[in-house]
Amino acid sequence: MSFLTPILLAGAAAFLIPLIIHLLNRRRIIHVQWGAMHLLHEVLKQKKRRTQIEQWLLLLTRIAIPIVLALCLARPVLNALNQLPGFGKSSLIVLLDDSFSMRAPTADGTPASDHARADLSRILADLPRGSDAQIIRIGGTPRPLNTAPSTTLDLLSADLTDIPAVQGPVSLQNSLQSALAAAQKAGNPSKEILILSDFQKSDWSSLLSGASLPALDALTSKDAATTRPALTLFQLPTQLSENLAITAAELSAQLVATSQPVALKVRIQNHGKRPWQDIPVHLEADGARLRTARISIPPDGEASLYFTHAFDSLGDHALTVRLEGDTFTDDNAFHTIVQVRDQLPVVLLDGAPGASPLAGALDFFNLALTPHLGASVPSLRDLILTRTIDPKRLKESDLAGARVVILGGLERSNGSLFPILRKFVENGGGLLILPAENADPLKWQTDLGKEGPFLPAKVTGQTHIENIDFPARLQTTRFTHPALLYFNDPRSGRLPDGEFQHWWKLEPQGDDARTIASLDRGVPLFIERPLGRGLVIQSAIPLKPGWSNLPLQPWFVPLAQRLTAWLATQDTESSAHLIGTTPSLSLTSSQSAQPFTLTDPLGQSSELKPESATLTLPALTQPGLYQIQPTDASPSDPKSTRRIAANLDPAESNLTPLAPTELTDLATRLGAQTASDFDTYQRLDRSRRLGIEVWQPLLLALLALLFFEVLLQQHITSPKGR
Amino acid sequence: MATLSDILQSEDITSLQHLQLFARTVVEGFTTGLHASPHKGFSVEFRQHRPYVQGDEIRRLDWKIFGRSDRFYIREYDEETNLRATIVLDTSGSMGYRGTGGVLKLDYARKLAASLAYLLMSQQDAVGLITFDTKLCQIIPNRTKISHLHLMLEAMIQTKPGGETALAPVIESLGNHLKRRGLVILISDFFDDASALLKAVGVLRHQGQEVVVLQLWDRDELEFPFSRFARFENLENAEDHVAIDPAAVRNRYLEVLTEFRQQITEGLRKHQVDLLQLPTDQSHATALRQYLTLRMR
Repeated sequence: MSFLTPILLAGAAAFLIPLIIHLLNRRRIIHVQWGAMHLLHEVLKQKKRRTQIEQWLLLLTRIAIPIVLALCLARPVLNALNQLPGFGKSSLIVLLDDSFSMRAPTADGTPASDHARADLSRILADLPRGSDAQIIRIGGTPRPLNTAPSTTLDLLSADLTDIPAVQGPVSLQNSLQSALAAAQKAGNPSKEILILSDFQKSDWSSLLSGASLPALDALTSKDAATTRPALTLFQLPTQLSENLAITAAELSAQLVATSQPVALKVRIQNHGKRPWQDIPVHLEADGARLRTARISIPPDGEASLYFTHAFDSLGDHALTVRLEGDTFTDDNAFHTIVQVRDQLPVVLLDGAPGASPLAGALDFFNLALTPHLGASVPSLRDLILTRTIDPKRLKESDLAGARVVILGGLERSNGSLFPILRKFVENGGGLLILPAENADPLKWQTDLGKEGPFLPAKVTGQTHIENIDFPARLQTTRFTHPALLYFNDPRSGRLPDGEFQHWWKLEPQGDDARTIASLDRGVPLFIERPLGRGLVIQSAIPLKPGWSNLPLQPWFVPLAQRLTAWLATQDTESSAHLIGTTPSLSLTSSQSAQPFTLTDPLGQSSELKPESATLTLPALTQPGLYQIQPTDASPSDPKSTRRIAANLDPAESNLTPLAPTELTDLATRLGAQTASDFDTYQRLDRSRRLGIEVWQPLLLALLALLFFEVLLQQHITSPKGR
Repeated sequence: MATLSDILQSEDITSLQHLQLFARTVVEGFTTGLHASPHKGFSVEFRQHRPYVQGDEIRRLDWKIFGRSDRFYIREYDEETNLRATIVLDTSGSMGYRGTGGVLKLDYARKLAASLAYLLMSQQDAVGLITFDTKLCQIIPNRTKISHLHLMLEAMIQTKPGGETALAPVIESLGNHLKRRGLVILISDFFDDASALLKAVGVLRHQGQEVVVLQLWDRDELEFPFSRFARFENLENAEDHVAIDPAAVRNRYLEVLTEFRQQITEGLRKHQVDLLQLPTDQSHATALRQYLTLRMR
């Protein structure tokens, strides 16, 4: 037994008061020379023993009253009762932060995640018998460690060793929602939600500034007051506030040809108050260091630098950027995969070929795809290889090997054309459909609309701007589509220079259709829609001069190439992943029958067996480069080897935690209590869990004693009691 | 020689002089006085005539009637006789109780006995005194002379509270010393077994004695006002004691007391014995007035 306010135990000495009074009364006994003894003997006859018992009982009651009162005030905590089955048991829901920031060192140099696991093990071991616990890892997407509340706490504690801190930022809404769901399933009426985290400021600041979370409102609402779980914020104080991190490394092109330079834009963030000078930043290709640049970064600032590199062999190649300087090295590297391909075959279906150069419907587009056609310099070699075919003569065999088809200038539907194109797209091909310059949009829609859900958009008319002084322009808000991310950088081209006088009015059809880019008049310019394994993009304008000056802009070339590359690669799995995700790869029918070997960044290999045409990888737990190849393939065969880059979420690199005052404010707002080490938590837990359960019965006992004392006194002095 | 003022204060004596004691019951007396006698004889107060029967004294024949009617009639008178009163004073240990009011019960009893003796003597009654504790101690025969009062007072003054008393046998034995019928005034606290006491009084009554019981109570004995833990030691037996919390037993004590008093009252009523319960914080004059009121009923 222990006491939360042991000093008040001294009050128990008050039991001496009735005892002393009793003894003094006995000592100061008066002597009465009495005559009517026969009356007294009659009174005491047969009652003497009972009277003595009652007197002793009264004395004991009066002694017990101050003792029980003192015990009550001292708030005793009965640890021994924990060991009794079913006594004081509770349900604990632990939200364990396994985000990457938990790798930051604490005061003793060990990572906060290690402290979290150790403290959690002690907390689980300290739970009363019969308690259950559920652990939810809240880095990135919340994932329960045990799907149902577990009472085998020692086994649960053993499972904690397999939780690496590599995940992305904590999603508070999802985490609290998971905790609420777990609390509803918990078996004990006494429940607690324990959040074990470093309380990164970036995760919690919005909540601290007053933002609302539906899950949190449900947790702290007055309606749930009677049953709501206790909330504890257990902060693991990290000692590192200075951190340099590579937050991104963006490739100028995911798909390049051999010897074609690819640019890598590296962004480095300084999460700290000290400036960094001449930090060395290394570029590594396929594990070999190529060159080093130096960069200076201001406090709380960002700096960018560019690397270029050209690969001379086909296959998936890795580019790694690595910086030196700070002590927290886990986020000092960033990995990307560059797919080096020989050629990207594209078929141009030109429905209105021109008699003269650049007069055809797709001539400008063709030129943009192959700007270096005929150049003799190897580095200026085009990746895209185009072939123009008359759509009326298209045969299925013409599309063999092609990745993308561009359809333009087609005024009327050809009976066999669209079945071929549908099959092509459904098998993973990309199709870009451009309007026919001379076609009536409504007739075109009626004619081609027969293809049903094949088209991403429905043509509802056309718009023409007579006043050329006020043309429509591209809506240049920040692009989110992968094909257009490149243009978010102003250096990629002056998009506002594009002027549009004429366009078809497109209306997205189908729930899966989405607008890639729009004009400032609020009308879509490009709409895409997946079909089977492939993708169809429909344009509101033909990509030739006349309706707009788009083909005349310098950025038309990258726009055409990126749209085409997007159509060509959209069915291939992304090779860049965040830690914690479980990527899957599509396989051909011949590949799906064979096992694959996965080699992780630490060099450890494991064998994977594909399911049908998909190879699902285990969750990525290590930042770095993963290599997947058929088990029986030659390790040096680049064509059969596929690579995946796994990086940490850059949002986790800002290690600044909530200040103690901020954490206190947050706890006040949430009606929570805070702890920063196991001992504090234990005291908190005991005062909350056992303190209440013990002093309340004691208070009841005290009241009962008081009533008993009054009743006994009345009984003794009452004639009926005799 | 002891005087009345040794026992009574002067105002009490003055007060007593105005009191008259009237006996309700006619007892045999050898001195004509205020008390009517059931014995018809020489008297001043004519009662009745009745026919002569054989055995009547010739001297009581009314010769005048014989002369007028030639018949023998006996003339009967009510005779006023002197009262033969014996004051029986309990000097047992329990009478040695001095209450929180400071009054010694025996002291009160002595004064009461002296008052009664003075009153009775002042009306020419023959008064005697018997004191007892464990046994009969002093026996002063009944006399009417006022000098006899001093003898009784001296005996009263010399009495001290005695030891343990079994009251009933002593009362029973009184009959042996009271050769003639008269008034027995028993001044005691009656602290004994009630049934034995009543039986003893019954014996006395059977012997033709008129009995008046003056039961003395200290206020403490009536109300049991003690609050602190106390050791009650028997005045009649030093080895008999109880240590109790008086507050705890007070109600029960009062119950037992009420039962005891009821038992005494009922028992004495059955024996046609007058009972006067006198608290010792009451003045003697009041006590005597109550006594006389009782006797005049």
